[in-house]
Amino acid sequence: MFGFGDLGVWSAYAFTIFSVLICILYGILKWNETDEDTKETGK
Amino acid sequence: MDTLYIGIVVAVYLAITAYLGWLGFKQTTNAADFLVAGRKQHPIIMALSYGATFISTSAIVGFGGAAAVFGMGLLWLTFLNIFVGIFIAFVFFGKRTRKMGHNLDAHTFPELLGKRFDSRFIQGATGLLIFLFMPIYAGSVLIGGAIFIAQTFSISYDAAVLGFTIITAVYVVFGGLKGVMYTDAFQGVLMFIGMALLLIYAYTSVGGVMAGHTALSKLAPEAKILFGKGGHMGWTSMPAFGSAMWMQLVTTIVMGVGIGVLAQPQLIVRFMTVKSNKEINRAVLVGGVFILFMTGVAFTVGALSNVYFWNNPKYQTVAIEAVKMAQAEKEGKVYKPVVSVELTKKREADAAAALLNPALAVKEPAKPAAAVQSAAIAPKTGAAAPAAPAPAKPKASGALTDAIIPLFINEAMPKWFIPIFLITLLAAAMSTLSSQFHTMGTALARDVYEKGLQIKSKNTVLVNRMGTLFTIILSLGVAIYLPRFFETGSAIIAKGTAIFFGLCACAVIPMYVGALYSKRFTKAAAKSGFLAGVAVSLLWMAFIHSAEAAPLGICMALTGKASLLDPRSWISNLDPLIAALPVSIIVSLLVSALTSPMDKEHLKKCFNGIEKV
Repeated sequence: MFGFGDLGVWSAYAFTIFSVLICILYGILKWNETDEDTKETGK
Repeated sequence: MDTLYIGIVVAVYLAITAYLGWLGFKQTTNAADFLVAGRKQHPIIMALSYGATFISTSAIVGFGGAAAVFGMGLLWLTFLNIFVGIFIAFVFFGKRTRKMGHNLDAHTFPELLGKRFDSRFIQGATGLLIFLFMPIYAGSVLIGGAIFIAQTFSISYDAAVLGFTIITAVYVVFGGLKGVMYTDAFQGVLMFIGMALLLIYAYTSVGGVMAGHTALSKLAPEAKILFGKGGHMGWTSMPAFGSAMWMQLVTTIVMGVGIGVLAQPQLIVRFMTVKSNKEINRAVLVGGVFILFMTGVAFTVGALSNVYFWNNPKYQTVAIEAVKMAQAEKEGKVYKPVVSVELTKKREADAAAALLNPALAVKEPAKPAAAVQSAAIAPKTGAAAPAAPAPAKPKASGALTDAIIPLFINEAMPKWFIPIFLITLLAAAMSTLSSQFHTMGTALARDVYEKGLQIKSKNTVLVNRMGTLFTIILSLGVAIYLPRFFETGSAIIAKGTAIFFGLCACAVIPMYVGALYSKRFTKAAAKSGFLAGVAVSLLWMAFIHSAEAAPLGICMALTGKASLLDPRSWISNLDPLIAALPVSIIVSLLVSALTSPMDKEHLKKCFNGIEKV
């Protein structure tokens, strides 16, 4: 289990890495997404 | 040589910070510039500013030291810091906050809530909550920074706290939020570099990732000897479910800080500093990685420091005991650690001997190491100190845990890294403190004085500068007075942070969620949820939660007991957030169901374009 003593800590480690990956993927996928507000004002 | 090197590094750091503060001052011409940084900030500046404000010295040194005691279970807090504090906060709260803030022309978080519910009371009361209680949090960060500066430069605490306050105050008062965000971003970059280097060196010092984790797992018996009575199961395991350590780790540290972040006004205002959702989307990426390198690294390194000290021939014990040894050495004394390589070898030899000769084991039962080895500190003269039993405590004192990371840095890291880490910690403290000063100042000037009390002013920027200056002086007073109120400076840092995070969460989260997501959520629901959250939270702190009830002394004065319940019971260890937030949510929902929704035209204005977000 990656050297950890129990599933509780292993899960914390896994969830942490997973949450960072979500942030990275979200940022990349939505990098150029422009909302309606910006389109309307042309800013 | 070292002093000169440190002096040059600090001087360069302060010069760049001063320049960025001046840049903020030059670009601040109106209230929107001072309060929401002109609403046109770059996503990287916004994300770094958010992250640097979020992470203070106490998160790195205080909570990193706590990880050396509690172990890697603290990574649950890192998960919440990233998933709740960044992803949920930016995607589900940030976009709507930005859009609604634009729709209502709100300049502060209390103003957003006040305008959304068309209530002067809500704006004034939320501003007052920030003005009254944030100085405890700001004072705590100030104390942490000042202690660190005083120790590093060998100056008095009072001189350190005064100097630290003046330097930070100058660029906050004059630079406004632009000055704060520019310096935050610079400080965030320094923090990232410092923590990345720390992670690399820490894993190298314990033989790599897998080897480090495995070695830490093997130290579980020592953890049980030290903290077994509190429920400790080892530094790579969670504490026993429901034990005192589990309650403290899960309800106060992980849940309290992890969820409380959603209601932090100094963070929420940053969503209103960007011009579109594109900036928020991009900031999610930067913010997620940044937080991983802050708390993720601090908690991992804190826990792994046990392996380093265990393998270090000078200490051969775990981190908390190594700190006691180092402190005793400074005082010219010798501290014999409760757990050590030598004692473990002896214990294993005794166990093997007992296995070979069971009769011997019956005659002389093996005593636990903690009972055999007293925690006595004897003078170096060689005179034996009276043997005193060392009871296993559920938690180590804050003063000791806060000393773990600095000791690890001094012992394990190369000498050139020490000034780099000094700047990392200085940047962490200044970035959090500057944002706190700005938020408290605007809460007082904008939300309480101008809007709550409806006092007209000709120069809004000047009024906000005065408000900021006043709250800075107040925080300085707190930083000087608080250490005399509580027992040790370090304990205050954690307590001050937890109190403010919990109080804000209980008071604000139901109304904040209702404001952004429900047209049915009423003004009366917002007010009653706020009052219920604040009342239950304060009562729980004063009468139930022993961590605050005992030092506050209100319960003692009224009932003759430190806490209404047995301090050992699980309820006494339950954080106020866990008790008060459900009450606040239930009261808000009930009142909302029983009262009429707000005017449709007003709601249309608030939610204009929000559904598309």
